[in-house]
Amino acid sequence: MNFQSPQPQVVLSGHGLVKYYGSVVGLAGVDVAVRSGEALAVMGPSGNGKTTLLHVLAGILTPDQGEVWLGGERVDQLNDAARTVLRRRRLGFVFQDNQLLAELPADENVALPLMVDGLSRPEAIGRARTTLAQVGLAAEVGRRPGELSGGQAQRVAIARALVGEPQVVFADEPTGALDAATGSQVIDLLVGAATYRGAAVVVVTHDNAVAARCHRALHIVDGRVSDGTGFAPTAGPLGPGVRP
Amino acid sequence: MTDLGLRFVRRPGPGGRAANLAAFGATAVVALLVTFLIAGSLGLSQRSERIGWRSGDKADPATAIGTMKLDDDQRVDGHRLTVLELATLKPNELAPPPGLDHTPKAGEVFVSPEVAKRWSSLSKEYGVDKPTGVISDKGLSSPEEFIVIRGVETIPADEHPQYVSSWHEKVWDSRMLGLLIAVAFGITLVLFPILSLVGQAAGVAAKRREHRLAALRLAGATRTQVLWLSAVEQAVLGLAGAVVGLVGYTVLSPLIARIPLGGGRWYVGDITVQWWTVLVVLAAVPVLSVISALIGLGRVSITPLGVVRGQTRKGLSVLRLGLLIIGPVILAYYGMQAAVLPLLIGVGFAALAVRVIGPWAVQLVGKAMAKAANGPVMLLAGRRLVDDPKGAFRPVAALVLSGFVTGFISVFMPPGKDDPSFNDMRIGVALLLSLVFLTVAASTAAGAVGTALDQAAPARALRRSGVPLSVIERAARLAAVVPVVGVGLPVVGFGALCGLALSGGKVMTDGSSGVLLLLGQVVAGLVLVTLAGTAGAPVLRKASAN
Repeated sequence: MNFQSPQPQVVLSGHGLVKYYGSVVGLAGVDVAVRSGEALAVMGPSGNGKTTLLHVLAGILTPDQGEVWLGGERVDQLNDAARTVLRRRRLGFVFQDNQLLAELPADENVALPLMVDGLSRPEAIGRARTTLAQVGLAAEVGRRPGELSGGQAQRVAIARALVGEPQVVFADEPTGALDAATGSQVIDLLVGAATYRGAAVVVVTHDNAVAARCHRALHIVDGRVSDGTGFAPTAGPLGPGVRP
Repeated sequence: MTDLGLRFVRRPGPGGRAANLAAFGATAVVALLVTFLIAGSLGLSQRSERIGWRSGDKADPATAIGTMKLDDDQRVDGHRLTVLELATLKPNELAPPPGLDHTPKAGEVFVSPEVAKRWSSLSKEYGVDKPTGVISDKGLSSPEEFIVIRGVETIPADEHPQYVSSWHEKVWDSRMLGLLIAVAFGITLVLFPILSLVGQAAGVAAKRREHRLAALRLAGATRTQVLWLSAVEQAVLGLAGAVVGLVGYTVLSPLIARIPLGGGRWYVGDITVQWWTVLVVLAAVPVLSVISALIGLGRVSITPLGVVRGQTRKGLSVLRLGLLIIGPVILAYYGMQAAVLPLLIGVGFAALAVRVIGPWAVQLVGKAMAKAANGPVMLLAGRRLVDDPKGAFRPVAALVLSGFVTGFISVFMPPGKDDPSFNDMRIGVALLLSLVFLTVAASTAAGAVGTALDQAAPARALRRSGVPLSVIERAARLAAVVPVVGVGLPVVGFGALCGLALSGGKVMTDGSSGVLLLLGQVVAGLVLVTLAGTAGAPVLRKASAN
């Protein structure tokens, strides 16, 4: 197949994505595209390929077939080291159980990716604290993950994902470990703060309430987009492209 | 619960196989070391029983049945030759000396097999073409002993003969007794490294179970049930390790018998394990590892949420420093002339101080690193040390303690290369350090696997977020090496200080042997930690992979 280069406003796209785990099919030909400032929910039953799609789009896994493009750059053909750098500089990640480093205080957890990228410690910590203040944790910068509530820890994880000014933020069940009320606050913060910066958000979730806060939803069943379109708009409370 | 515990051993879950293997391997090394120490001590005693009579001097000259005189100044083919002259004072029906078919009459000469081979060079001196007999194994300290037992008419009183009432007096051979005392000091010095290794072995497996057991607690299992489950798992691992350690010792014993400590290599029979040693090892090693595992699981059993949520650990008190002075004060107070026991207690206290203060010092070094860090590697390593200084110190505790041992011994290296006690000391020190280094290697490797498994989840998240594996690995390596350098080197100095306290400030060492010993220790220690630490690398790589 010969694909055209993605449209300029589409920041991330995947075309004909296929992924196998041995003889098991993880993805069976998925097409997807996300625009800057847009939040996309990836939904579907467990074990049907949601997380695989996220990992392939984020360059964590490489597809067996198909292409992944990020802002005009083909990701799936990059080597592991280049994809590592790309993830660090152009993408952000939020995981279900925050996956913060227990031994680091909040500001150092957020500053770490910047320091890995060569920023001096004072500069990295300064930016980390600014971002933490933006997610409402100005008073908690010195606390370690064990001293924070689940919701606060997830806010730190969001700050860590946003601090590098990424083009896309990937979130895998970001509210899975939280109660409904805290989960709502966290997803609002994630979508609001990321899209406000012009970043796209890709959220894997099985929670309709989370999907409702995104601009669109994509349903994956048996490794395929179930509705066949991949672009069915379901306007969330913010509305497509509306910024807080 | 017992069934569940056994099932957990068979199917340990993700990462559990590596943890169980590390725990099992470390326990096997502990069993091997314990067997070696027990069997080695018994070997000294058996050797002494065969040759102790030569030092007999208990009888009243008026009633004695014989006299003896020992001389070890002669040489044959470059080997030191022991010559025992023996005179019968009264006719008697007593059994002949061990290893001889009859008590030598004046002019008769019994020799060891090694001397028999070289008799041609000695026959003129002794005036006999052929020795009267060859001493059997029952009368020799070692298969390669060089000894001549010669019957004489009389030994003049001015040559200070030893008077005996039988040829089988129960006397400890002075050289074997000296070695046994040295072994006692050695055991005191390696006790904490070995206990550390037991704790390490149990801790690695326990770490893997922490979350599982905490989940069971949250699901309603009682504290006793959780502890029992862990005890069953650890007991099985400990028992398997003990069996392998015993088998390993038995397989290695012909090689161990070649160590020329105490005047030549050993009869394998001297150091073969006895049934009760087997029972002691099979009981003690699993029990110790179960106790260690249960202590390590205290946090889970008391507050399961503490582990599940990864709460902050308490800081360590500076009061620990107070322990540093007890050992040197005891050693300085008693000095070199004291009995063995108080000195053992003094050395034990000093080693305990190192074990207790180590984590505090690691925390201090970690804080300084985290404060000074400008890059991610040093920051991660420093914070890791501050977060769990006990965990960081445990794998290197044995190495740091070996630094104490070396520092201590370096003051006492005896002069005179030709002196048998120098040779014993040299071989003894080499042996002691080998034991400690073996302990260290096992401990560091087990610790590296445990740390890698601990760090797997956050490391996976970091890798997904674009942090290169090399940064994570370098931080892990730095966190492993820093306690060795930052704490180990001062501890070498503390060991030397304790040695000087005992000797009254006098350096007994002759020449450069002490300095060489110290340098060797530092280099070997660093190489060992680096190599053993690599055991964690593949585990971390695999466990943190996408």
